Amino acid sequence: MSDVQEATNQLLDVNLHGNQRSIQVTESAPRSESEHLQVTIGATVPTGFEQTAADEVREKLGSSCKISKDRGKIYFDISVESLAQVHCLRSVDNLFVVVKEFKDYQFKETKEEVLKDFEELAGKLPWSEPLKVWNVNTSFKKKKTKRKKINQNSSKEKIDNGQGDKADERDDKKGFTNKTLDSRILDYYENPAIKEEISTLVGDDLASCKDETDEGSKEETPEVLKFRVTCNRAGEKHCFSSNEAARDFGGGVQDYFKWKADMTNFDVEVLLNIHDNEIVVGIALTEESLHRRNITHFGPTTLRSTLAYGMLRLCAPQPTDIIVDPMCGTGAIPIEGATEWSNCYHIAGDNNPLAVNRAANNISSLLTKSQIKEGKVSWGLPIDAVQWDICNLPLRTGSVDIIVTDMPFGKRMGSKKRNWNLYPACLREMSRVCRPGTGRAVLLTQDKKCFTKALSGMGHVWRKVHTVWVNIGGLHAAVYLLKRTPQAFVHPVEQNGERTPW
Amino acid sequence: MKLLTHNLLSSHVRGVGPRGFPLRLQATEVRINPVEFNPDFVARMIPKVEWAALLEAADTVPKEPIEGYEHDEKFLRKMHHVLLEVDVLEGTLQCPESGRLFPISRGIPNMLLSDEETET
Repeated sequence: MSDVQEATNQLLDVNLHGNQRSIQVTESAPRSESEHLQVTIGATVPTGFEQTAADEVREKLGSSCKISKDRGKIYFDISVESLAQVHCLRSVDNLFVVVKEFKDYQFKETKEEVLKDFEELAGKLPWSEPLKVWNVNTSFKKKKTKRKKINQNSSKEKIDNGQGDKADERDDKKGFTNKTLDSRILDYYENPAIKEEISTLVGDDLASCKDETDEGSKEETPEVLKFRVTCNRAGEKHCFSSNEAARDFGGGVQDYFKWKADMTNFDVEVLLNIHDNEIVVGIALTEESLHRRNITHFGPTTLRSTLAYGMLRLCAPQPTDIIVDPMCGTGAIPIEGATEWSNCYHIAGDNNPLAVNRAANNISSLLTKSQIKEGKVSWGLPIDAVQWDICNLPLRTGSVDIIVTDMPFGKRMGSKKRNWNLYPACLREMSRVCRPGTGRAVLLTQDKKCFTKALSGMGHVWRKVHTVWVNIGGLHAAVYLLKRTPQAFVHPVEQNGERTPW
Repeated sequence: MKLLTHNLLSSHVRGVGPRGFPLRLQATEVRINPVEFNPDFVARMIPKVEWAALLEAADTVPKEPIEGYEHDEKFLRKMHHVLLEVDVLEGTLQCPESGRLFPISRGIPNMLLSDEETET
C-alpha cells in the first residue's frame, strides 16, 4: 500500500469510538501501535517567553524543549497519549505537529526553481505519522466544549501578532478594530462616542454546550478533505514571497493527496514556516489561538492570556501569595492567575468603572463556564475586583506579595506625557504596598525609557532582577521583574503638599 | 467583595495613614458562594490576616486563632467560609478616622477619592 493510500485511509476511517481509547492519558495495559507514537510538537508562544514556556512543558509533560531560532516557537517530543495534556499548556498560543524539519535548506538560485522545489517537496515528506496525530487530535477536539461558538459572538480585537503573512480570518464583530484606536484619543474609556456593551454570554455558553452533545452523536463520513497552506517567511535572502511559496507548495499537496483547497473552511491546515535557511513543515493542531481563552469581554488593550500566564510564572507565585493587578483593564492577568494558581489570592483593580465592570463580568463568565464544563459545585474562585486609583492604593502597607500588571503604553491607552508623571507615582505606591524582602513585581510596558528613568530613583526599594523583551502587536515592549528590597517603606513628609514626579 | 479583600483594604484619605485600617463594613446584601475547601491555603493565610479586623467584619469569628489551628478542620472550615465564601454585594466601607464612606456596588467597592480629596 502506498504512503498516500495509507494516509488517506487513515483519514477516511475517522471513527470516534475507535479513537476513544487512544486519547486516554492514564497508563495501563499495552495498546495498539499508534499510541506509542513519539512525535515532535511545535508551539508558538509570545516572543520573549520561550524559556517560560519551555519550563511549563518540562513541568507538565516532562519533555525538554528546543527553542527555535525563529523567535516565538518551541519544539518538544511527546508520545501521542500526552496530546490531551499538551492542549492544557497555558503558555502556548498555537500547536502543530512537525512533519519535517530542514535545518539547512538549500535554496536554488532562481524563483522559478525554488517554487518548483516546493511543489515537488510535498510528495517527498513523511506525512503518515503526523496525519495520525492530526486524526487523534481532531476526534479529541470534537469532545471539548465548543468555545469557538462563544468567541464568535463576543466583541474581539484584531491582533497582529507579527508572525508573517498569515491571514487572520476572525471577524471583528463589534468594530473594536485597530483603526478606531486613534492615538489622539488619550483615554479610550473617556470617549463618549464609543458605546459600551456589557453582555453576559451565559446564554450562549449553555446553548453551545447543548449543541455539543447533539453533534457528538452525528458521525460525519468525510469524502474529500479540505486544506489550506499557511506560510510564514522571515529572512532577507529569499527571492520569493510567502504567498508564492504557499501557493506552489499547496499545489503540490493537492496533487499528492487529492484534497480540496479551501481558505476558510478547511479540515487540515498545513504550515510552512521558513526562517532564513530553516524550514519546518507542520500540521496545525489548534484552529484558533488559545490566547483568548479566559476573556469573553474584550477591551481595547486586552492582554493575551498566554502572555499573562508567562508574566505570572516569572514571579514564581507561592501558595497563599496575595497577587494584585492594580491596572487590570479587563482582568486578563488576575483571571489567568485565579485559574492556574488557585492557591493564591488575586485582586483586580482599576480606576475606570468600565474596566472594573468588564473584569467582574469576565470573572462571572469564568465561574459559569467552569460550572458547566466541569460540573463543579464550586462557585467561587479566589479573586476579587476593586475600583481604585493606582497612585493612591487603598491597601495596607506591605500587605501584597506580588504585583503583576500591564502598564499603559502611552499608545492606545494614556499618553507618553502622562507616563512621565504616572510611572514614578505607580512605582512608589507599588513599593509601599509590596511586602519588603519577599515581594516582587512583574511589569509590562512599551515605554521603556520612561520606566527606566522612573526606576532609577527607586533603588532603595526596587531591584531590577530580569528583563524579557517581548513583541506586543508589533510594538517592542519589555517585561521587568523587580524584587522589593527589605527596606521598609517610609512615608514621605509632605512639605507643601506639591507632588513632583522625581 | 470577599472578607479577605476587606482585610487588605485601608482608607487612603489624606492624612489618615495607618489609622485608616480597618474600614468599618456595613453590608446590606450578602451572597454565600461555595468555594472548594483547601485546608492548607486557609492554615497558611491565618497568620497573614489581621485578626481584629476580621473579627469586626464577621461576628462569627472566634476571638483569636485556637492553639493548633492548623489541624483543626472544623475551625479551618469556618475560617474558609468567612474569608472566601462570604461575598458582600451591596454595602459601605467607612474610614474609621475620617468617616468617609466608600460604596460597595455589585460586589465591587469603589475606593476612588474625588479630586478635591486628593489635592491639598
